[in-house]
Amino acid sequence: MTDTIHKPAVDYRRRQKLARISRNLAILIGALVVAIYVLAPVAWLVSSSFQTEAEIVSVPPHWIPEDPTLRNFEAIFTAGNEEEITYENRSGQDPASGGYIPSTAKNLLPAMWNSTVVATLVVILNLLVGVPAAYALAKIRFMGRDASIYFILMTRVIPDIALVVPFFLVIKNLGMLDSIWSLVLTYLAVTVPFTVFILVQYFEGLPDELDKAARVDGCSRIQALVRVFLPLSLPSLVAVVLFAFLTSWNEFLLALMFTQTSASQTLPIVLAAFTSDFTISFSFINAAGVLAIVPPIIVAVIFERYIVSGLTAGAVKG
Amino acid sequence: MTDTVNIQPGRSRLRAAFGYEERSAMIFLAPVMLVLMLVAVFPILYSLYLSFFRIKLTRPNRTPFVWLDNYTDLFGNELFWTSVARTVVFSVVSVSAIAVIALLVSLLLNQDFRFRRVLSTIILVPWAIPYVANALMWKWIYDSGYGALNGLLFQLDFISRYMVFLGDQNKTIYLIANAFVWKEVPLATILLLVSLKAIPSDLYAAARVDGATVWSRFVHVTLPAMKPGFLLVMIYETMMAIRHFDLFFILTEGGPGDASHVLSWHIYVETFRNLSFGSGAAMSYVLALVTFALSYIFIRTLGRRV
Repeated sequence: MTDTIHKPAVDYRRRQKLARISRNLAILIGALVVAIYVLAPVAWLVSSSFQTEAEIVSVPPHWIPEDPTLRNFEAIFTAGNEEEITYENRSGQDPASGGYIPSTAKNLLPAMWNSTVVATLVVILNLLVGVPAAYALAKIRFMGRDASIYFILMTRVIPDIALVVPFFLVIKNLGMLDSIWSLVLTYLAVTVPFTVFILVQYFEGLPDELDKAARVDGCSRIQALVRVFLPLSLPSLVAVVLFAFLTSWNEFLLALMFTQTSASQTLPIVLAAFTSDFTISFSFINAAGVLAIVPPIIVAVIFERYIVSGLTAGAVKG
Repeated sequence: MTDTVNIQPGRSRLRAAFGYEERSAMIFLAPVMLVLMLVAVFPILYSLYLSFFRIKLTRPNRTPFVWLDNYTDLFGNELFWTSVARTVVFSVVSVSAIAVIALLVSLLLNQDFRFRRVLSTIILVPWAIPYVANALMWKWIYDSGYGALNGLLFQLDFISRYMVFLGDQNKTIYLIANAFVWKEVPLATILLLVSLKAIPSDLYAAARVDGATVWSRFVHVTLPAMKPGFLLVMIYETMMAIRHFDLFFILTEGGPGDASHVLSWHIYVETFRNLSFGSGAAMSYVLALVTFALSYIFIRTLGRRV
């Protein structure tokens, strides 16, 4: 350091320029490495979903499909209308027709529908339950407020696998196995605490005066919440909706326990069943995988800002 | 309210302790408490109760009360201890990898450069996709016959012929950890980025005036300021790692042999394949307690305050 001070100014300036260039270069390389690390596996999944049965087993692999095909996606979207696929005609006996498409391909769209319904119901219940609770915890000074916060925090630490056995027995006794309601109910355990935390964090950031002013003007607590706070907290509500939706859409363990048929199976369950069946073409499995990741990725890209701020809010207290 | 206080001093004490604020808060909190009692507190207590019985679904009519036998049996159960060891390896490897990678990525995203926003959107992709899709993707990448990892290593001349990855006892747990790390890094990065952004720039300016080099600024300013962020990442990711199930189910089913037989997989096998609900409940209770204990230890050692 001391050397540079005594050297001529030209040299110093050159050094500075060199430092800036090398800094930019380092950032560029770093950004490229990160982008490749994140995107390469996904790109490979997408690429192989467009490959034919013959191409996907080439050694070494074709990174970009030379003969791209939509056959896998067609099979998924038209599976319901086709003739019944039986064990005899499914396992690739006939190379001309492609084969290797499982008879369970027709379960994919219903499973996607189930996932959507479950996730939507979970979102609605989260809002109904979480919004008033967060308002009370953030804006009402009452005895037992800290205790309530700790209680909700504790429920978040319980591992989902510890809930599986009791849930299973209760749901079995209630006769709710293989019903989407068993999923909706149990997903509340994994989503509600986080919902409350994001919202509490956000409501606490809004000035107390708003609450007081609304109350002076004759609003009840509920009116203050609905008319004053809700319109102001739209960003955090979006974050809550996204988190509850994605968590439910992606959940696997509980769905594995409680679903049995296509009446309630969600997308991850159907996907998991594909992966353990060795007769199914890799390209078909990958196409199903692409179908499962596209909706969450679209959501993540569109709502990037809300997700980051939501995670941030949940983080400060969490 | 004030009327009551003046007229009936006896009841007012009760009212003051359990006043208007408490009552309205109760109404607002009732739904959430009801739901959490139903879906979290009741199941965890019920599971404690179940863990005192020998419940085998293969003999539904005989469920003797056995006190702590389900817990003491664990000490002699070799497979249980194997699964604990596997879980420790998996968690330590993946949490430390997540911490290091997320630190590097968050430092990068804290810089100002042209594609920063694009990169921070890209990085959300692994976070958003379902674990099952993640597992399916890595299963295909690791495939011993046609997988991308083999293809890549082969084309780069690192290997002369395709090799077995997930089927190799010595590699499998690290490969699963890699898939886990890939999926968890984004969240950890965002959490670390929050504490990075919270560092006042005055601190850096002051350090620069004092003649601190880039490295010593990093060690003495950046790292201490990131402590709360690290604490959070360690707690959260450790919790996620020791309970993780999805990848093990799809990639290896605990195999080959018992190479990836982690605790959550052991609980699953015990409960739903051996249909032994009592000991399954006991083990998941142990897992829940360990989770609590670990978060407590982290909070005590890494930070005074969350």
